[in-house]
Amino acid sequence: MKLTLSDEQARFGATLHDLLDAADVPAASRAWAAGDAVPGCAVWRRLADAGVTALAVPEKWGGLEASPADLVVACEELGHHALPGPAMETVAAVPALLAALGGAAAERWLPALASGEALATLAAPPWLPYAVDADTAGVSLLAARPAGAADLLASGSPTAAARLPGATGATGAIVARPARAAVGVWVGVVGEAVASVDPTRRLFELGPGEMLADDAGGAVGRALDLGALACAAHLLGAGRAMLETAVEYAKQRVQFGQPIGRFQAIKHALADVAVGLEFARPLLYAAAVTLTPRDVSAAKVACASAAHRAARAALQVHGAIGYTEEYGLGRWLTRVRALMAAWGTSSDHRARVLATLTAQAEPWS
Amino acid sequence: MNIVVLVKQVPDSGAERNLRTDDNTVDRGSASNVINEMDEYAIEEALRIQEAHGGEVTILTMGPSGAAESIRKALSMGPDKAVHVVDDALHGSCALATSKVLAAALGTLNADLVLCGAESTDGRVQVLPHMLAERLGVAALTGARKLTIDGSALTIERQTDEGYEVVTAQTPAVVSVWDTINEPRYPSFKGIMAAKKKPVQALSLGDLGVAPSEVGLDGASSAVVEHSKRPPRSGGQKVTDEGEGGVKLVEFLATEKFV
Repeated sequence: MKLTLSDEQARFGATLHDLLDAADVPAASRAWAAGDAVPGCAVWRRLADAGVTALAVPEKWGGLEASPADLVVACEELGHHALPGPAMETVAAVPALLAALGGAAAERWLPALASGEALATLAAPPWLPYAVDADTAGVSLLAARPAGAADLLASGSPTAAARLPGATGATGAIVARPARAAVGVWVGVVGEAVASVDPTRRLFELGPGEMLADDAGGAVGRALDLGALACAAHLLGAGRAMLETAVEYAKQRVQFGQPIGRFQAIKHALADVAVGLEFARPLLYAAAVTLTPRDVSAAKVACASAAHRAARAALQVHGAIGYTEEYGLGRWLTRVRALMAAWGTSSDHRARVLATLTAQAEPWS
Repeated sequence: MNIVVLVKQVPDSGAERNLRTDDNTVDRGSASNVINEMDEYAIEEALRIQEAHGGEVTILTMGPSGAAESIRKALSMGPDKAVHVVDDALHGSCALATSKVLAAALGTLNADLVLCGAESTDGRVQVLPHMLAERLGVAALTGARKLTIDGSALTIERQTDEGYEVVTAQTPAVVSVWDTINEPRYPSFKGIMAAKKKPVQALSLGDLGVAPSEVGLDGASSAVVEHSKRPPRSGGQKVTDEGEGGVKLVEFLATEKFV
């Protein structure tokens, strides 16, 4: 098992960092949150030129068919810059799902995803109750069990549930279906907008449109695992960005006659953040190698927890300025808060680790 | 068209740079070393010419073994191959000696066009393209902000403080470019992975038939006798505005001959 990056992977990450550094992501984020996706999509097109959107697409549909480790390198850098847009969906989960479905669905969208012409989003309750940026994405997919209407209801989306196949029509009614109904995949019909803690994540309900597959549990499960892996990488990158910002600030901010970074309380807090991030990294890389549900879940839990610690410490080190919109730390704070719950909560993933350890087969939902 | 791009590895101009205390040469050991920024524009221009007219793009670097990292990075942008002139005897070479070595290396490459950055961010003398052209006996089109190619005819807009001059020449020629000429591409995933397999030929002074005595610190035509660190910035002069702050500002600007 190889848990270190190759020179080429490190160079790819550094290149994406340079690209995003020069692309004014903060301005694109502000516009994105205000409903103007144009500057953000321009950044996505540059990423597409660098190959990011083609990584998980098979070569026969114009992709690069890169390894999950390459994907992790890219996703960490997207999180490092808190790029707006449906990142995990576009670069990981949706290409993986479409490639697994194959046929007409793959033919229809994968070339556009690989070239960066379209962004993609996905709703897959309960891990992903809503679809991010479905108003901007060119491809919106819904993966659910028909009986998953119950999941949608539980997540507070009765209107979407009512539109699910097999719904009785009465809004709010829980559809009676066999518990083990097969997982279907539909083209998503964009519904109502829902508020997110992260203003750059514009959430939407998705209802089922054209059906693409009626029994795709395995494909959906693998796609969600790849998405969760990408999400873990995104979280790790966001954590790293906040550590860097906080360390820089601690060196500049003077209080009681010296930079606050000289105080042990600050030093220890930031050291704990650094240790947390570096200990999460091997789990992330291991999951990229094995892609087993257990390793992906371990990586998601570790990266979410390390990023959360980074967010709390960074906010505290910054003091009141960290809360201000102008300073920009909030882009990472809210992103981490949102992603801790998306792609499976830490409880979901801990349960999955437990289930595999105790040898109880547990599917993705 | 056969294009050779000269690429120099330099200490990052955005980070702290030092001269060595023992021999007054650039301290590469402690620096973060990168491709000379202006050379990235030369690589981009070469790739655009290749896309339009075909041919081959070769990177030519003279530098220590650590420069191999910059060569791989340059190759990841798209050039086909690279030549690395590496020899311990080259340490401390002056511009004149550098041009001699590069001219010898170019003699093996049969280039129609030699592209390079107008200056390096560490040396900043801008003289190398001229020396090289003189040694090769070809035209020097320097400081270009635009380059157009029509068959074997080259036309550049040479950037000056007042505007630009139109200069023409025939291939083969040496063309140096400023950062106004294009927007260099970022290496793509494909380019980075492909760069790993591209050929990099290492040449020593012996391979080029250049005597070690002609290059290096001892063979240098110029010498750095001593150096000292730039003094730390002083506090500056504060003007308190008591109704005549504007006048004081103008007076200051006048003494500095800004107005």
